[in-house]
Amino acid sequence: MIWIGDVLVSQGEGGVYNERMLGNARVWDPFRSKLAALYHDGTGVELTSDTRVLYLGAANGTTVSHVADYVDVVYAVEFAPRPMQDLLEVARRRKNIVPIMADATRPEQYAPLVETVDLVYQDVAQPDQAMIAIRNSAFLKPDGKMILMLKTRSVDVRKEPVVVFEETMEALVSAGFVIQESLWLLPYHQDHAAIVCAKPGV
Amino acid sequence: MRSYWFGDVEDGQCTPAGGDALAKFDRARSITRMDTYVPPDWELAVACGACRDREDYIKKLREVCFAAAERDIREQYSGKDAELLQMVRTLDEMDTVINLLTERAVEWYQLRHPTFTRKYRKTPAHILVKNIRDKSRGALSFVAGEIERLSATRTELAKAVSGRANDVMPNTSALIGGLVAARLMSHAGGLSDLSRLPASAIQVLGARTALFAHLRTKSPSPKHGIIFQHRRVHNAPRECRGKVARVLAGKLAIAARIDHYRGVADPVFLESAQARIDLTGSVTGKVTGKVIGRGNEP
Repeated sequence: MIWIGDVLVSQGEGGVYNERMLGNARVWDPFRSKLAALYHDGTGVELTSDTRVLYLGAANGTTVSHVADYVDVVYAVEFAPRPMQDLLEVARRRKNIVPIMADATRPEQYAPLVETVDLVYQDVAQPDQAMIAIRNSAFLKPDGKMILMLKTRSVDVRKEPVVVFEETMEALVSAGFVIQESLWLLPYHQDHAAIVCAKPGV
Repeated sequence: MRSYWFGDVEDGQCTPAGGDALAKFDRARSITRMDTYVPPDWELAVACGACRDREDYIKKLREVCFAAAERDIREQYSGKDAELLQMVRTLDEMDTVINLLTERAVEWYQLRHPTFTRKYRKTPAHILVKNIRDKSRGALSFVAGEIERLSATRTELAKAVSGRANDVMPNTSALIGGLVAARLMSHAGGLSDLSRLPASAIQVLGARTALFAHLRTKSPSPKHGIIFQHRRVHNAPRECRGKVARVLAGKLAIAARIDHYRGVADPVFLESAQARIDLTGSVTGKVTGKVIGRGNEP
């Protein structure tokens, strides 16, 4: 990852969402992007120019644009039409984004389009986030990593975030994942946790 | 056989997919099973003759994905309810804005006219705004004029919402009026969402605070939400409002399903539904007679 002092940046064409620039580098704000918050709070997964990423819950393409600056290719999956309009515009300018309008809970709908990837990054506002992660791990290479951004309030608003966090980790472990890192994304995002895990060796 | 967007692969033999980008996408979407899944691979696509190299692979794949996404967005927006949803939400937001601005303009006007009061007067808001415009000078007069123009736009928009609702959801609109029908649809999130709601949910749509207060504490359950805006509910005697609301919601649930799946008015259903609702409103507390007809099913 590229740091200028203690500022996380990515190298690419600016002006995607009026982000601040430091010279030619685009500032990647941890308050706006949960992935940036993970790099500030923990280790995360190093993104390199030959990394292939499956990005679930691409939304407006804000974080996607930064990921695309680092990696070989991003398969960006988004379901809702309005954010998809914005994502398409970002993807028109960044030739290594493959925008896919599909439902992340149904990977079979986009499976014929997606290669095996080094990293699955998941940031979806759905109740069954562990299940979505497990299903989409079919796309991971044997040594691939998964980053799950857990929106605890989307899982169940009535449950304590800590409980949701633990239940999700249990679900991942019992599906054979090895958890490498798990942390809350404070002070950047409330009630959001990051879980970094590896696919079981095949 | 393994099927991918660029073609089918079987025993190392590849059959390239034909057609344009959209045809390739639809083909890819309709075939895969995850249990025996092997992800595609650009080298396979090259062997298949679909592309020259990896760069070309991503380029071609992007063409397929863009074409499909653009089409799917267009399709989702072309539903007849999509525009009605924006119209009715604009209408409700205009109401909020007009009320806020009117209150503010009155406060401002009171500063300039220390003897002005609304106590013991029944001046309607729109006449009040007109008076403020006439009797003020400068910015306040402009603001009051702007509120009047907003109100005129609001009236036009309300007519348009009503007309569009009659067209998009004829049965629901016939039972409860176009404006209220459109508001129900907006709260549900769309016509297909409304048609999937149970009658009990339609009955309390728009009464979220009361509903959650009921679920959390021991307060009584809400009898009605948006459907209270219909005269049949708010004109009904207090003691049978809940009953009217329940029966009306039941018929609305059926009407919304006819609207979504059939899209045309069903006179037979409407007649029996109206009769059933009227009966509930008139025979307070002792509905025994059943109306014969299709609208009578639960």
